Amino acid sequence: MLENIVFYGLEALVILSALAMISIRSPIYSALCLVMVMVGVAGIFVTLNAYFLAAVQLIVYAGAVTVLFVMVVMMIDLKKNGRSFSKGLLGNSLKAFSVGLIWSLIATSVIYVFSDIGRGDLPKISEGTFQMKELAAHLFTKYIFGFEAICILLLLVIVGTVALSRAKGGTHVRND
Amino acid sequence: MLEMTSFEVGLNHYLTLSAALFCIGLMGVLIRRNTVVILMCIELMLNAVNISFVAFSRYQANNDGNIMVFFVMAIAAAEAAVGLGLIVAIFKRFRSVDLDFFESLRG
Repeated sequence: MLENIVFYGLEALVILSALAMISIRSPIYSALCLVMVMVGVAGIFVTLNAYFLAAVQLIVYAGAVTVLFVMVVMMIDLKKNGRSFSKGLLGNSLKAFSVGLIWSLIATSVIYVFSDIGRGDLPKISEGTFQMKELAAHLFTKYIFGFEAICILLLLVIVGTVALSRAKGGTHVRND
Repeated sequence: MLEMTSFEVGLNHYLTLSAALFCIGLMGVLIRRNTVVILMCIELMLNAVNISFVAFSRYQANNDGNIMVFFVMAIAAAEAAVGLGLIVAIFKRFRSVDLDFFESLRG
């Protein structure tokens, strides 16, 4: 019973923060709402017994990525920003309708297929540190090539980001 | 369909939440005009996928989904870094990050 209440609380937190994120005008408040979403998602990982992933989620997203966003928002002059939403009531309502249609299709099919799998059907998994041991053993044996590819990708991204932000850059040529 | 109305949390609750988060992120990408906020919405969509990976992984007692979440997180962080680097370069050049500005991409 308690875990149901926890799940519904986290779900409300995540959904409301996500809705606030896309509807608040100021990008800095959007970043704060993004932090709330990430913390809620970490809590949902805890309800799924993925404790290590919850910690990684907090460190990487709420800790690193959001700080990066906030730093960039501070570097950008917000006063010169134009409008924050697309114009056109018809176009926007069409977008909302189609996104809602996608969600309802996914939700209906999910409920049709998986509605008989409840909390009681949870399979046993190893507890505590054994879970992390299994994860590490998988990561460094079966998925070692993917892991190395991620290492190379991160190295490339470090070099590329520094090169990009140092460049004068841009595709439009300004005449001045 | 009777189980659908029960309050017992199951796999379908996690998947529905994941779909809802994904659709909110998609909506944000469609209606917002600020490039930084659009990047945030893309991060939100990647996170929504992570929820469904972890839920499937837990309900099958299989670790592969958790490892996919690691990969998705690494790629999301890399994508955020490159995207923000691009935004900084664009802002240095044009003093604006509004999306209307890039509608006509000329060489």
